[in-house]
Amino acid sequence: MCWRCTQFSRRSLLAGGGIAAASLATGSAQARIRPADMVPLIGPGYKPVDKDEIGLWQQMERVEEEVAGSNLLIDDPALNAYLKNIIGTVGGPAAQDFRIYLAHIPEFNAVMFPTGFAVIFSGLLLRMRNEAQLAGVIAHESGHFLRRHMIRSWRDMRRKSDLFAIGAMVAGVAGAGVGVYTGDYVQLAQLGTMLSLFHYSREIEAEADATGARLIEQAGYPPMEMADIWQQLINEENASAAYRRKHRDRGYSLFATHPAPESRMVDLRADAADVTVAGKAYDNRRARYLDAIAAIRPMLLDDQVKLNDPGASEYLIETLAQDGWNGLLRYNEGEVWRLRNRNGDDVRAAQSYAAAVVYPDAPAEAWRWHGISLMKAGRSAEAKQAFAHYLAMKPDAPDAAWVRQMMG
Amino acid sequence: MAIRNSARTSGLALALGLSVTLAGCVQSRQYADLQFTPPAGDYKLLVLRPDVTVGSLTTGGMVEPRADWTDQARSAIVAALRAQQLARGGQVTIVEHRNEVAGVSASELADMERLNAVVDESIVIHKYLGDYLPTKVGKGLDWTVGETAVSLGRKSGYDYALFLHAEDQVASTGRIALAVLGLAGCAVGFCAPNVGGATQLDYASLVDLKTGEVIWFNVVRAGSEVPGIKFGDLRTPAGAAQMVDRLLNRMKPGAAVARQAREQR
Repeated sequence: MCWRCTQFSRRSLLAGGGIAAASLATGSAQARIRPADMVPLIGPGYKPVDKDEIGLWQQMERVEEEVAGSNLLIDDPALNAYLKNIIGTVGGPAAQDFRIYLAHIPEFNAVMFPTGFAVIFSGLLLRMRNEAQLAGVIAHESGHFLRRHMIRSWRDMRRKSDLFAIGAMVAGVAGAGVGVYTGDYVQLAQLGTMLSLFHYSREIEAEADATGARLIEQAGYPPMEMADIWQQLINEENASAAYRRKHRDRGYSLFATHPAPESRMVDLRADAADVTVAGKAYDNRRARYLDAIAAIRPMLLDDQVKLNDPGASEYLIETLAQDGWNGLLRYNEGEVWRLRNRNGDDVRAAQSYAAAVVYPDAPAEAWRWHGISLMKAGRSAEAKQAFAHYLAMKPDAPDAAWVRQMMG
Repeated sequence: MAIRNSARTSGLALALGLSVTLAGCVQSRQYADLQFTPPAGDYKLLVLRPDVTVGSLTTGGMVEPRADWTDQARSAIVAALRAQQLARGGQVTIVEHRNEVAGVSASELADMERLNAVVDESIVIHKYLGDYLPTKVGKGLDWTVGETAVSLGRKSGYDYALFLHAEDQVASTGRIALAVLGLAGCAVGFCAPNVGGATQLDYASLVDLKTGEVIWFNVVRAGSEVPGIKFGDLRTPAGAAQMVDRLLNRMKPGAAVARQAREQR
C-alpha cells in the first residue's frame, strides 16, 4: 500500500515462459474508477471484526512499535504535528485514528499500513512543491485505509491461491485419469492467477487515487496538484535515466502493481476534473508548506545530492526553482556539479556558488566553496572575503583552522 | 530502519524454514560457546518479548495470522517457560513490552533487540545456511552482542537474556481436503498427498549479560508434508511444554567444557 512500490521486473517473470499467455491476457481495457463512487467503507474508530483481519492487525502491532521506536524517524515535533494535522484534514472519517511517522529515507515514497499508520519518506518532502501535493499523497494513503484495501487484497490473494491450488490438483488428478499431462496448462493458470493479482493491485491503487482526489478537494486543495506530482516523477526518472544513458525502467505495464505513471497521470487529471467545483476557491498553501519544512530542507537537499544521481538531482533542483531560486537551491546546484566532476563542472559549480552567496539565505558552506573556487581561479583577495564570511557564519566550523591558514 | 528490522526478523525465520529439508519430522540443531555451561542454580534470566505467531495454513498455502490462536500460544509458552525455569532453579522475568524492565529505557531495550536480531541473522547465515567461516571453525558459537548487552546487564541486574521466536501453523480444512484429493489421485497415478502441511519453527538465543556473548543458539523445526498431521500444537499447554522442552531443555555444554568433564572422569 505504498505510493510507489518496488516494481516487479517484467523480464524476470516472463523468463518463466508465459509470454504467449501474457499477451493474451492484456487485451482487456479497464474502465476508470470514478471519485464519486469512492465512498469510505469504514467510519471513525474502526476496529476489525473478522478473524483474518484481527490477525493482521495483531501482527501489525509489533511493526508499529518498531516504526515508532525507530532511530530513523525525524524527531521534529513541529513537523510531525504538521503532518498529523494534514492527515487529520484529508483522512476522511478515520482522520483522528491515523498515526503518521516521518522517516529519514531520501526516496519518493509513502506507505500506509493495514492498521492505519502511515510512514512518510523524507524524500517525499523534498519533492513536494506545496501542501496540496503532500496532502494528495497522504490522501491517497488514507484512501487505502478508508477503502479497506489491505484486507481486501489479502482476501483476494487467498481466494486466488486457493482456487489455483485446487485447480492444479484437480487438473493433475483429472489429467492423470485420462492419461494427459497437464503441467503446461497448470503453468498457464499460474501465470493467469498472477496476472489477476497484479490487476487487483492496480485497481486498488486507482481507487486510492480517486479517493485521494475526492479527499483533497473536500479539504480545499486544488485537485489537479496530484496529477502534477506524477508528471514530475516521470520527468525526474527520465532525467536520471538520460544521465546514465539508459531508458527509464518501463517495467510498468503488465506486471506492475501500480498503474504506469503515464496512465495514472491521465486518470488523475480526469479525477481532478471530475471533483473540481467550478468557481470554488482552492488554495495550495505553498507558504505554509515551505515554512513547515524550512528547518529540514537543507538536509533533504543534501541527502538527494549525495545519492550520486546527478540527472535526478539537477532536475529536482530546477523544478523546485520554478517557484523561485534561492541561496540554498543554488548552493546545492553547485554541489551537484562539483560532485559530478565532469569536464567544465568546476566552472559550473563556481558559478552556482557565486550565485548562491548573492541570496541572504545562502548557507555557510556556499561561502566556503565560493572562497575555494575563487582561490582556484587566482582571485585570492575575494576568496579571503568569502572565507571571512564563512567563518563569521560558522565560527566553530570543524575546518576553521584550515580556512584561516588559506586566508594567510 | 524499523520496517527493515521487522522484515529482517521474518526473513530470518524464512531462511531458517528453507534451510531444513522438507521432511515430515522434528529437527533441532544447537550451537554453544566452547566455554558454555547451561545456567543452573541461582541465576536471573530476562526473556525479551517472546515473538509468537500462530496462523492458519490456507488451501493455497498462505499463512493467515490468527490473533486468538497467537494469544493462546503465547500464554501457553510463557507458562511452560516459567515452569521449565522453575525446575532449573533460575529466577525468570518475561517482558511483553519494552518499558517493563526497571532501570532500562525502552529505546535501550530496542537497541538490544535490534542488535541481537542482526547477530542472530549472522549466526543463521554462518552456522545454519552453509556459509561457514574459516575463522570460526572449531570455535563453537563465537558471536557477541558486545557492550550493549553488558550495559543492559549492568543496569538491569540480570545474568542472561533469552530471545525466543516461535511460529506455528494449523492446516485449514481446505488444506487438508486438498491433500485428501491428492491422495485420491494416487489411484489414477497422480499422487500428491504431500502438498505441504503445517510447519512449526522455533529458535532461541541466550546472551550472557556479563560478557555480552551469545553463548547458545538453537533451532527447532517440526513440520509435516501432509496437512492434518502435526508435531505438537503450540496453542495447547502440552504442545507449548513440548516446544520449550525441545528448544530449551536440552542445552548441551560447550565443547571445551564437555572435554574437561570427560577428562576428569
